[in-house]
Amino acid sequence: MENILLKDDVAGLEAYFACGGYKPLKKALGLTPAEVIDEVKKSNLRGRGGAGFPAGLKWSFIPKDAQGPRYLVCNADEGEPGTFKDRELMRKNPHALIEGMAIAGYAIGAAHGYIYIRGEFAEEAELLEHAVAAARAKGFIGRNILGSGFDFELFIHRGAGAYICGEETALLESLEGYKGQPRLKPPFPAIKGLFGSPTVMNNVETLAAVPAIIDKGGDWYASIGTGKSAGTKLFCVSGPVNKPGVYELPLGTPLRDLLEKNCGGLKPGKKLKAVIPGGSSTPVLTAGEALAVKLDYESLAAAGSMLGSGAVIVIDESQCMVGLLRVLARFYHHESCGQCTPCREGCGWIEKILNRFEEGRAEMKDIDMLSSVADGMMGRTICPLADAMAMPVLSFVKKFRAEFEAHARGETCARRAGPKA
Amino acid sequence: MPTITIDGKSIEVEKGTTLLAAAQKLGIYIPRYCYHPKLSISGNCRMCLVEVEKAPKLLTACSTEAAEGMVVRTTSDKVKAARRDVLEYLLINHPLDCPICDQAGECGLQDYYMDYSLARSRFSMADKVRREKRRPIGPNLVLDNERCILCTRCVRFCSEVTKTSELEVMNRGDHSYIDLKEGKALDNGYSLNIADICPVGAFTSRDFRFKQRVWFLKRTKTVCLGCATGCLVEAHHNENVIYRLVPDPNPETNTWLCDHGRLTYKALQAGDRLKKGVIKNGLIELEPALREAATRIDEARGAVAVMGSPWLSIEDNAALARLARDSVKTGDYCFDFNFEQGIKDGILINKDQAPNTAGVRPVKAAYGGISMGELAGRIASGKIKLLLTEARAAALLKDALKDSGTRVVVFAANRGEIPAGAYATLPYAAYFETPGTFINYQGLRRRTTPPVAAPEGVKPLWDVVNKLASYSGASLGLDSGDDALKGISF
Ligand SMILES: Cc1cc2nc3c(=O)[nH]c(=O)nc-3n(C[C@H](O)[C@H](O)[C@H](O)COP(=O)(O)O)c2cc1C
Ligand code: SF4
Ligand code: SF4
Ligand code: SF4
Ligand code: FES
Repeated sequence: MENILLKDDVAGLEAYFACGGYKPLKKALGLTPAEVIDEVKKSNLRGRGGAGFPAGLKWSFIPKDAQGPRYLVCNADEGEPGTFKDRELMRKNPHALIEGMAIAGYAIGAAHGYIYIRGEFAEEAELLEHAVAAARAKGFIGRNILGSGFDFELFIHRGAGAYICGEETALLESLEGYKGQPRLKPPFPAIKGLFGSPTVMNNVETLAAVPAIIDKGGDWYASIGTGKSAGTKLFCVSGPVNKPGVYELPLGTPLRDLLEKNCGGLKPGKKLKAVIPGGSSTPVLTAGEALAVKLDYESLAAAGSMLGSGAVIVIDESQCMVGLLRVLARFYHHESCGQCTPCREGCGWIEKILNRFEEGRAEMKDIDMLSSVADGMMGRTICPLADAMAMPVLSFVKKFRAEFEAHARGETCARRAGPKA
Repeated sequence: MPTITIDGKSIEVEKGTTLLAAAQKLGIYIPRYCYHPKLSISGNCRMCLVEVEKAPKLLTACSTEAAEGMVVRTTSDKVKAARRDVLEYLLINHPLDCPICDQAGECGLQDYYMDYSLARSRFSMADKVRREKRRPIGPNLVLDNERCILCTRCVRFCSEVTKTSELEVMNRGDHSYIDLKEGKALDNGYSLNIADICPVGAFTSRDFRFKQRVWFLKRTKTVCLGCATGCLVEAHHNENVIYRLVPDPNPETNTWLCDHGRLTYKALQAGDRLKKGVIKNGLIELEPALREAATRIDEARGAVAVMGSPWLSIEDNAALARLARDSVKTGDYCFDFNFEQGIKDGILINKDQAPNTAGVRPVKAAYGGISMGELAGRIASGKIKLLLTEARAAALLKDALKDSGTRVVVFAANRGEIPAGAYATLPYAAYFETPGTFINYQGLRRRTTPPVAAPEGVKPLWDVVNKLASYSGASLGLDSGDDALKGISF
């Protein structure tokens, strides 16, 4: 099917306009905000930032009678290892995001929107600035949009390099100028978000899907995919496949098709060992599980993992699972904000245990210790970063225990035995 | 008003009540580190996790509000496991300085480990995170970041109570540590509260450090007399020596203590603490000093003035009033103090630095006397040959006394209080050495309980007054402080 999000040659405003861009905005402004929300609810669009929360439902949480300002924030912090879809989307189709935000802003009654973009995405931030300026010049952003009386101003804010600022309340803290640390919830952002006001936050990909939904209708969008997992999703594939990159596919596409048809299979001589299906924090799947699973929220949940951000990390037989897990542990240890005891201390502890495996100092009992340290972190912290560390640990140890045992016995591992790259 | 069930007991609570507070009402204790009743909720330590039926995860009792029908369990296996895990995480990088740590014996880590864990360490010593130790922070505190559990109570105290925001958590993850913000110093007048609220030995008091093991300390509840606020305190002492004062939190006046008040006990141990009398500038034994003072009073009879003091208890003021009226038989006595009162800084410190301005009023009501202005006038005009009063009160008449030729006889606990030119000084038992009644700025009557005894031979002021009277041959018959209170209503 035709891509909804990732399109070629629509980056410029003229080109975007030429193929029907900003028509949906006009259409939305002719509806009531409640009608816009209903359309999005009907579409079954779910958040693409990782948690998969229904977008229309989230918008409807903004209290109807709330006084004072409301805000719309786009999460473009994209920091989850393996994830690089939002960047591609912002490069190729920035106006879909801008238009989606104007529509979402109208739906929730926000006069101000922010795009919080990962600090390293300097180029994309500049590109967005230009795109917003162009949209403003045509009256799609700013005061009295298309004569509707609706005002919507959009600001680009660059992050400063912390993964945790992708978590929505840490992002809000950072946007307000404070240290990026998740807030205790409740209150949720819909009640008390940016500057204490009702706020909706959505991922880039979520918002960019909105214009098409308004244009062609929620029912049309809901008909794509599997029903509960509606629409298309961006999958960013990394690892030893012939054509790594970002692919837009209907939800429910078999993972096998993504790997074989879109990515052209594994590189010559490589054999699939495992797949992390939804970004580094989702539980790993064995090759067998991966080749049997479909890419949608329910199928991946049934397989014991998550769709997450749609970052598909392909791991072949020459990789050492212990070494890979250590890379992840180092990342989460480095990125933990350090508020919660289990996360602050647990992430570092896990990394230290894994260092022992890598350095040949581990004992058998360290394997269970890894799982028990991770268990103690699961579901017991302010934000899910601790879970994001624990889930790979638990799944790596459970599914690739033999490799951990081999390390504890002092045997050479797959990576060291394999050909030096 | 939601009704909830905690460990099988049900309770109806106000809307907005947290599970921790509701449990407390039922007498169920939920362990906590970051929670403090007077600070904002931070929810970071995760020690207070409890199980709530139908909730998919354990919830923090300190931040979760009671909702109708909630069924809460605080001792289920899941909860116990969570507590054990949190303690293990907290302890893996902990230096275990207990043998040399001042907190030992009243440490949140030690106590909860005994109550909720008792697990063996599974962490390799070699892997511990090291942090800066023993760093003096401000005049009153030492910070050991290695012992810190990052509960942020200290940070919240400085931003929410003193609103001076000196402290911050720097860095992140397990590199986090507490530090001063750039350009800040920790000297906000309330800094020692941080040593109290720090649940571990990270912030310790420079004054108290290494002085005593806390399990040797005895505790006596008494009153701080550093100003008219009259905070309730607990004096910690051993073998007749006070080692520290800590707040005795109460809804009427104080959760905290100011640094000044907290260190008032130091006067007892100061080098200038008077144990003998002083005549002119020479120290002299108590009895001769007393006799000398009595002789001078007799000599000046007809031109003697007596002044009470807002720094003295009601008992002592009343004794002075009796002395003036019934023994010296002068009309020139003054119990007239009108200092402006009220909290000066929005926290605790009072505009009135004297502890008993309000307590002198009932003495005045019972005995009358002249006003401070009249007394000053009579002194300045040379009509008063001898003034008997308390040292700090005498300072109030400094201008009138200058060049007046009035002989000044004062009561003082410390030599530093004696006004220049005083003729004789008599020591007396200070605040922490004798019981006394005081009335704070709110009109609350508070009685001190002495944690320690006065130096050998040094008596309460009412007793010294009683002796002075008997030397002059007109006994007041005061056998106790209570005797002095007779006829005074307050
Ligand atoms: C540690 C952490 C990092 C996150 N990083 C991102 C991110 O980079 N981008 C993003 O869209 N969501 C991220 N999320 C999810 C957001 O908190 C939030 O759920 C999301 O932005 C909501 O948008 P959606 O409903 O459109 O998915 C992160 C969550 C956590 C816990
Ligand atoms: S789970 Fe980790 S990252 Fe999230 S708030 Fe707690 S310490 Fe910070
Ligand atoms: S803080 Fe507590 S556990 Fe740590 S060294 Fe001091 S007494 Fe021991
Ligand atoms: S120094 Fe004490 S009060 Fe401050 S964060 Fe550390 S443990 Fe908590
Ligand atoms: S006391 Fe509740 S999280 Fe610390």
